[in-house]
Amino acid sequence: MRDLSAMIWIETRKALRSRMPWFTAAGALVMPLGIAFLIFVATHPEISHKLGLVGAKANLMTYATTSWPMYLELQGQMIAAGGFFLFCLIFCWVFGREFTDGTLKDMLAVPVARGSIVLAKFVVAAAWSAALAALIFITGLVAGALMGLPQASAAVLLQGSLTVAVTTGLVIAVVLPFAFFASVGRGYLLPLGLAILALMLANLVMVLGWGEYFPWAVPGLHAQGKDYLSPISYVIAVLTGAAGMRGTHLWWKYADQNR
Amino acid sequence: MNLAIETEDLGKRYGDVTAVEHLSLRVAEGEIYAFLGLNGAGKTTTIRMLLGMIRPTTGSATVLGARVRLGRREPWAAVGYLVETPHAYGELTVRENLEVARRLHPGAPAAAVDRCIERLGLSAYADRRTGTLSHGNAQRLGLAKALLHGPRLLLLDEPANGLDPAGIVEIRSLLLELTREQGVTVFMSSHILAEVARLAARVGIIHEGRLLQELDAEGLERNRRRRLLVRARDQAAALRTLAAAGRPAALLPDGTLELTDAAVVARPDDVAGLLAAAGVPPTHLVVEEEELEHYFLRLVGSSGGAA
Repeated sequence: MRDLSAMIWIETRKALRSRMPWFTAAGALVMPLGIAFLIFVATHPEISHKLGLVGAKANLMTYATTSWPMYLELQGQMIAAGGFFLFCLIFCWVFGREFTDGTLKDMLAVPVARGSIVLAKFVVAAAWSAALAALIFITGLVAGALMGLPQASAAVLLQGSLTVAVTTGLVIAVVLPFAFFASVGRGYLLPLGLAILALMLANLVMVLGWGEYFPWAVPGLHAQGKDYLSPISYVIAVLTGAAGMRGTHLWWKYADQNR
Repeated sequence: MNLAIETEDLGKRYGDVTAVEHLSLRVAEGEIYAFLGLNGAGKTTTIRMLLGMIRPTTGSATVLGARVRLGRREPWAAVGYLVETPHAYGELTVRENLEVARRLHPGAPAAAVDRCIERLGLSAYADRRTGTLSHGNAQRLGLAKALLHGPRLLLLDEPANGLDPAGIVEIRSLLLELTREQGVTVFMSSHILAEVARLAARVGIIHEGRLLQELDAEGLERNRRRRLLVRARDQAAALRTLAAAGRPAALLPDGTLELTDAAVVARPDDVAGLLAAAGVPPTHLVVEEEELEHYFLRLVGSSGGAA
């Protein structure tokens, strides 16, 4: 446990001293602020008219202005799609950088279990992802309140918050294997390429009606808050995460490390 | 004799490529052992196997009494290392990088960070981000990380890389001091024989993955070729005189006579006397030892191409 806390200190230090928290926070803010801007434009026809193309796109978002429940659903979907890429980026950076920066070798022949090093990376990357989800959600809530969306109630907010929280947990779970891909690929390219593929496949299987069995489609379906998922879907997402963590641990522990 | 490192038939293959084979080494505690080889000879692969970073295809390695296995925590508390080019977290300062290294060695005192900064001459750069360090200072930081926790064994891959001449002398003194005063064992790789000959008690020469020769400082001296170079005012007469006396010499392109017979080289005064008696006294007489680099290249069989 002492080892784990020391490793978490190291990972936190490395993350905080890098530019990544700023980049990812900026990426996280773009989503709710962008949507708030579009809703604002859609609810003000005079501005929409002046903005031309942007105004026309904003009109598509008009449905989001109808009520808090739909707006909160949109927040969940934002985390399921945009959050997925951001979280992927974080996990790829936390794990992949040790390979691309050549710093991995300094962590291998040390009197700390490699399991503790890997677990600390997972803890920090997951906490970082959760913090970004909170940033997205809180920014969305403030923007929604400022826009004065209708149908606000404690029950609606609680339900929306719960959906967003579970969606965040599911996204983090299905992102865990990308730490393994970053380790096997010894860098960023393989996991980021696979992340794009996963999202494309998620869309395809959803169209085909098999989304509930495809781990990377589960968060998006959950965010929609409808009966698209069965209990097995949640089990699949959690098992995907567990397999990602275990695979990463085994790779760090037993694979030849030449970098 | 207590052994710090022992390998038995250690080998590593990557598909059809043999990186290291049949490597059996014994390094005694407290000695400096130099592992010498050209680039790609298998030095780094060996060091990585000794550090449990890659799994041997054959054989085994024991470090400080513990059998090396991938992912184990033993015996790394007492081992410091520097493998290939040193890397550090560019966004962290020198001090922060050392703090990271310290936390990777539970039990290393906090004061060790400042002590290492001072010892490796990094005080002026302590609060500078490592991304801006010169190659030489990055190398010093790599060595500082290796020394931070007071290891009993140092595994250093080309420790002099990137250092200026003053830095090389400094690190050489540091390693000698650690060995003599604290009994630290040093296993270092290099491709420069002249460098390691000044430092190492024993040298192992590896080529194409195989250990060609292991020798101590005396053996190194003994195995190097020696020759006697002679010049006289009348080289042709000197050549004839030596041949007639059963001491054949070769005429080098610059006109110098070269004698390589060990018995002759051991007694240059006899040659001087012989030539003087024949009326062609030598104007230049010198016993020259084969250069270390030439010896090394001759041994690995590539002197023709590389010398």
